This record gives sequence, structure tokens and C-alpha cells, in this order.
Amino acid sequence: MTSFKPTRRTLIKTGTAAAALATFGPTLLRQAAAQDADLAPYKSAKIDWQQVSGETITVAVIPASYFENLITLAPQFKALTGIDVRFEKIPPAQIRQKSVIDLTSKTGTYATHAADPMYYALYAANKWVEPLDTYLKDKSLTDEAWFKLDDIIPAWRSANGIDGKLYGMPYDGEVTIQVYRKDLYDAKGLKPADTLEAYMSNAAALNTPNDRVWGAALRGVAGAGQNMYIYPSIFREFGGDWMKGGKLTVNGPEAEAALAWYVDIMKKYAPTAAANWNWPDIADAFSQGTVASYIDAHSSASVINNPEKSKVIGKVAYARWPKGPSGKRTTSIWNWGFPINSALPEKKRKATWLFIQWAASAETQARTAHRFGGPTKRSGVNRTSVWKDPDYIKLMNGFGENFVEATMGALQDDTDVDWRPRVPQWPAIGDTMATAIQSALSGQATIKAALDDAQRRIEPMMRG
Amino acid sequence: MTTSAVTSADIARETPRSDFGRILAQRERRFAAALLAPAFLALLATTTFPLLFLVYTSAFRMDLAMPFTNGFVGFENYQVLLSDERFWTSLLVSLVYTGSTVALQVIIGLALALLVMDMKRGQGWFRVIAILPVVLSPAVVGMIWRTFMLAPEFGIVDFLAINAGLGSKNWLGDPTLAMVSVIAIHTWQWTPFAFMVLLASLASLPEDIYEAARLDRASAWQRFRRITLPLLRPAIVMVIIMRTMVALTAFAAIFTVTGGGPGTATEILNLYAYRKSFTELSIGYGAALAVALLIVTIIISGILFALRRAK
Repeated sequence: MTSFKPTRRTLIKTGTAAAALATFGPTLLRQAAAQDADLAPYKSAKIDWQQVSGETITVAVIPASYFENLITLAPQFKALTGIDVRFEKIPPAQIRQKSVIDLTSKTGTYATHAADPMYYALYAANKWVEPLDTYLKDKSLTDEAWFKLDDIIPAWRSANGIDGKLYGMPYDGEVTIQVYRKDLYDAKGLKPADTLEAYMSNAAALNTPNDRVWGAALRGVAGAGQNMYIYPSIFREFGGDWMKGGKLTVNGPEAEAALAWYVDIMKKYAPTAAANWNWPDIADAFSQGTVASYIDAHSSASVINNPEKSKVIGKVAYARWPKGPSGKRTTSIWNWGFPINSALPEKKRKATWLFIQWAASAETQARTAHRFGGPTKRSGVNRTSVWKDPDYIKLMNGFGENFVEATMGALQDDTDVDWRPRVPQWPAIGDTMATAIQSALSGQATIKAALDDAQRRIEPMMRG
Repeated sequence: MTTSAVTSADIARETPRSDFGRILAQRERRFAAALLAPAFLALLATTTFPLLFLVYTSAFRMDLAMPFTNGFVGFENYQVLLSDERFWTSLLVSLVYTGSTVALQVIIGLALALLVMDMKRGQGWFRVIAILPVVLSPAVVGMIWRTFMLAPEFGIVDFLAINAGLGSKNWLGDPTLAMVSVIAIHTWQWTPFAFMVLLASLASLPEDIYEAARLDRASAWQRFRRITLPLLRPAIVMVIIMRTMVALTAFAAIFTVTGGGPGTATEILNLYAYRKSFTELSIGYGAALAVALLIVTIIISGILFALRRAK
């Protein structure tokens, strides 16, 4: 036994060292690579990046490739500012709750987190997060000429603002567009729909369940970011107004027409299972060739172009969200933004702002997108200038015909920041509406009854 | 040495034996209490305190979306609850869910146990296979059923239904079928538990009674009704109590399979309390719902325990 002991110890030691090297080796290499030349584009900003050197902050993000790319670059940020960033990855379903609990308890666990734009009204009402203009205007903290706030996609910025004040800096975002199978459309001589009516008739023309091809699919599963990601756009396109006469209204003729359109297309031309689908399920079905078209976030393009899984690569094209009876297009817009937690001490708040400024800067956006060394493509960069970069355009057009035009067109012209009611009560309202929509879809209630019931439930939430 | 010997002898002479014993017992009790204290405190901190805090919270309006309205409201949350239609619906769903899953588990579990008891070979294998669903996490079970089994056109159950001539069904999108599905999933996962407990009880029943019954020409059905069932009664009641308490507070599988939907068709009380608290951020009202669930659970298990004692 004794003769084995040293051997085992040596083995463990060697093993640990090897494991440590395997874990930290790449990081060390990258840190070594973060030389002055690498940091030059950041150092051209007229601020002292090192002003709160030595601070440590924790950032909660979701496990998604666009954040992974940012995490990979964190050593460069450390070299630039001397600030340590600890990342915590929390699935999207839990990050809202975790951050709300952290903000309520004022423990300041997360200096910043990937925030849902619909939560800023709640955050601002509770003063849980800082208005960002104080930081943007502070010359010691921000070089406005270098940072170029105006370059960040206006739609996402306005989604992260309340009463004209910015509370979260968009990092990665999305917009909804039409995704369709060009080969199937061409075979029948169809064009991508310009109106909701045409979208319905296209779906009818292509719907052949016996050949396992369905005409369309929209998010069906209940939830504020699920069926309530798609329905509000339809509601707005049918002329609906969330704040009719200053009172939050979710029922009425426009709402009924909108919900009827949604239920109709889902029942007639979508796979039955879609009633329980969220975007990954839809994108999977589309990539298997069973869905002819869908309307969803442009970011799902990476799923339907995944060479390992997709059977439709090269057959995909994109178009803007169809117009509604009101003559308007209203796409769903969304972004993950970074707010600053108010519960932090001043030095940490400064450190957090430096991190946000670094992450949202054009340089970091490019380095995590087309200039990123890894295989993952980011389709949600936050800057107009990057979207005009030929290298980025080339990369994005690999997703299919008309991708960049449809996305940029939607982002610039089709958005309506009030496509969902932006009130602190949104989490409750979104969930109530989501349940109502699904009960209408499943036939548990009629369209009118479902909406009237939702209105009844929402009214006391608004009265306070 | 001598002194101490004298002293102890003196004590033995002068102190009555019972007194001595009492002091020792007292010391032992103190020692036991000292040993228990950390565990007891930990238990208080992790179970009793949160429970009291829950009851305390339920007396407040705590709405994260409207912090300016927060404050003490006494029993108002409970008054609202009594007139909340969705509370009653979810309570009904909870009761239907619990009643049917427990009944199915006991019936199927008992049937399986009786079958396996008669197996001459392979009993061991059967037990191992049967226990598998129990060790899976309910969330994983939910995911498996949602994606592989129940998805219309794509899932195994639907494939079987189509081949059986029933046609494709929207298992999770139809209010009634969704309820049937979540009941089936829970039953599928937990019947093995009932099966194992009942099988163990069956194995311990005395063979000579059956021998005597056979000599008296009692039929199989008579033997089952007059001997097996009464002797199994304690085990059956235990299974019912344990499974009822778990089914009333079920969460993970339903949450992953239907999320309480479609609409509110499978929204059990537990799920409603969760949604109120964490999705709608109405913490006070959510706490009141949780307390209501607690009360319901206590009442039902109280009745069951009373039934167990009554003979």
C-alpha cells in the first residue's frame, strides 16, 4: 500500500496540473494576446479606462453563442480596465425571476444582467436600475464621440427607454420577419406575402399535410415571450391600441379580429403540435422541411442554417412582416440589454458602466461578430455601422436570400416601440393574455369570451 | 485513592439511589439536547421559519409591479381568493389530478404486484425495470413526454393512435386530452412506487391462511376480497397517503409538459400559486394561494390518517 501512495499523489498532482492547464491555458494565451496593439481601438477613447481598476463585478447572461463570444473576449476587457468580470449563465426562462429577486432584495449580486426590454418599466418604477444618461454625459466615464450612441439601432434603444430615458444598453437583438421556402414558393409561383391576407392564402396554397408540409407556423405555447411575442404585432396591425383612452384595453373588435386571424391560421395551416411550440420547435420543424413558412425572430436563421441539422439550406429566403388591415407593419422587436443595478456602491457602478460601454462599443460588436475567431455567427449586432460593413453583410447573407434587407427594413421602418403595452404590470398582463390566447386556440373559450375574461383580470392589475 | 473510595461510598450510602439516577438521566438529557440542537435549529431555520414567513407574507399586499400599493392588508388576500374563479378552478383541477392519479396508481400497482407475485422466473428483472421511471427527474420526464411521446404527427403516442385508427390527436393542445395526458404521465412515473410497496407487503402475507382458504374451497376472487385486501389495507392506505401528498403538490412535470395549459386546463393550485408569485410578481397573493394549498393538503391527509386508524 505505502509504495503506491506517492505514485497516486504524483498522479493526482500531474492530473490537476494538466487539468488546470487545459482550463486556464487558452485564457492565459488569450490574455497574453491582449497586447497594446489589440487594445488600441479602445484606448483612442478619451477616458481613463483604468479609473476603477481592481473592482470585480458579476454579470448574468443567458447561455447563448452571442454572449459566449463576449465571454471569450473578457480577458481583453480585464487588460484594458483592470476590472474582473465574473459571468453567470442562467437560462432565459429563469433569468428574469433571478434578476428581479436580486433587484428586490437590493443585494447587488448582479452588477448587470441580460435584461428583457419589457421589464424596464418595472425596473424604473421601483428605481432598481440607473438611468444611463448620467453615465453617457459624464465626460470622465464616456467619450461620446468614440462611443457613438446614435449608431446603436434606434428601435432597440427606444425599447430600452422609459419616458425618453435610456435604462439598458442593447447588446444583441432581434426583429421578426417572414421566413419562407423559396423552392416551394417558386414551384407554385407564389411571392412572399405583403399583407396578412396574402400570408393566409399562401399558407393555404402550400398546406399539404399528407406530404408532411404545413403552410405556416407561429408560436403557440403560452407565455409572455412566446405566443405573446407574436400576437401583439397582429393586434397592432389590425388597428388595436393597448391604451385606448388612457385605459389598458385588450378586448374589443380589433382584438377579436386579430385573435381570429391567429387562431384561424394556426388551426387550418399549422401543424397541430404548433399549439405547444416556441421558436426553437418551429425553427426545427422548418429546418426539417415540414413547414413552408413562418413569422418569427430573424435570429432563428442560424438554426435553420445549421449544416448539421438543417435540410433546407440554400432554399430559404426572407421578407418583411406582412401588412395588416390597418396598412401598417408592426414587427416584434426585442433585445438583450445591460442595465446598471442601483444597489451597487459607486465604484462598482462605474466599473459596470465601463463594462457596458466596452460590450456595446462598435469595436467589441465587430470582434464578437464577423471578426470573431470561433465558428458562431452573431445575427443581432447592435450597430447600424456594423450592419453596413461588407464583411458582416457577406456573412449574414449566407443565411439566405434577402436576409439583410428584410432585417434592416424591419428594424428601421416596421417597428413600433409600443407594440406591447409597456407598463410595470407587464409580467402579469403578458401572462394573463398568453393564457387567454391559448384558451381561444385550444377551444376552451370562444375568442370573445377569452379576451373579455382577460380584460376583466387585467383591470384590477392596472388600478393598483 | 482511599479518600475518593470513601467519598464515593459515602455518596452511595447517603444519596438515595433514585436521586442518583435522576441526576444521571438529567445529564443525559442535556447531552442529548446539546447534540440535537444544531439539527433542530437547522430544521427550524429551513422549514418552520419559511413557513411562518409565508403565512406572514400572505397578510401583505406585495406587488413588485406596483410597489407603491404595498402594505399590510390582513385577510384581504384570502377574501380575494375566495371570490377568485381561477383559484376554484385550479383547486378542482388539483383534486381531479390527485384523485385520479392516486386511484390509478393503487389499482395498477396492485394488479402488477399480484401478477409479479405469481411469476416463477424473472421477478428480479421486472422489479428493476419497473422502478426506472421513479428515479427519473419529473422535469426530464416532462420533456420526454412533451417532445417524443405526445407531439401530434411527430410523437410516438400519436403514431400509435394513428395506427390504431384513432387518428392524430392534439394531446397537449386540447383541454380534456391535456388533462388526461398529465394524469397518464404522473401515473406512469409513480405507479412503480405503489407496485414496490404492495409487492413487499404481498410477499409478507402468511401462506397458511391461503392454504386454509383453498381447503375451504374459497374461489380466487373470494381469497382476494376476504384475505388479500384486508391484510394489505395498511399498506394500501400508506400508499394512498404518501401519493396524495405528493400529487397535491406536483409541479415539475406539469410545468414542463403543459405549463398549466392549454389556457388553464391543467393549472393545478401549486402552479397557479407559482405563476401569481413569480410570473405576475404578486408575492402576497401568491403566498395566500400557497397557504390555501397547505390547508387543503393538511385537511386531506388528516382525513386519510383518520381513515387509517378507524377499523
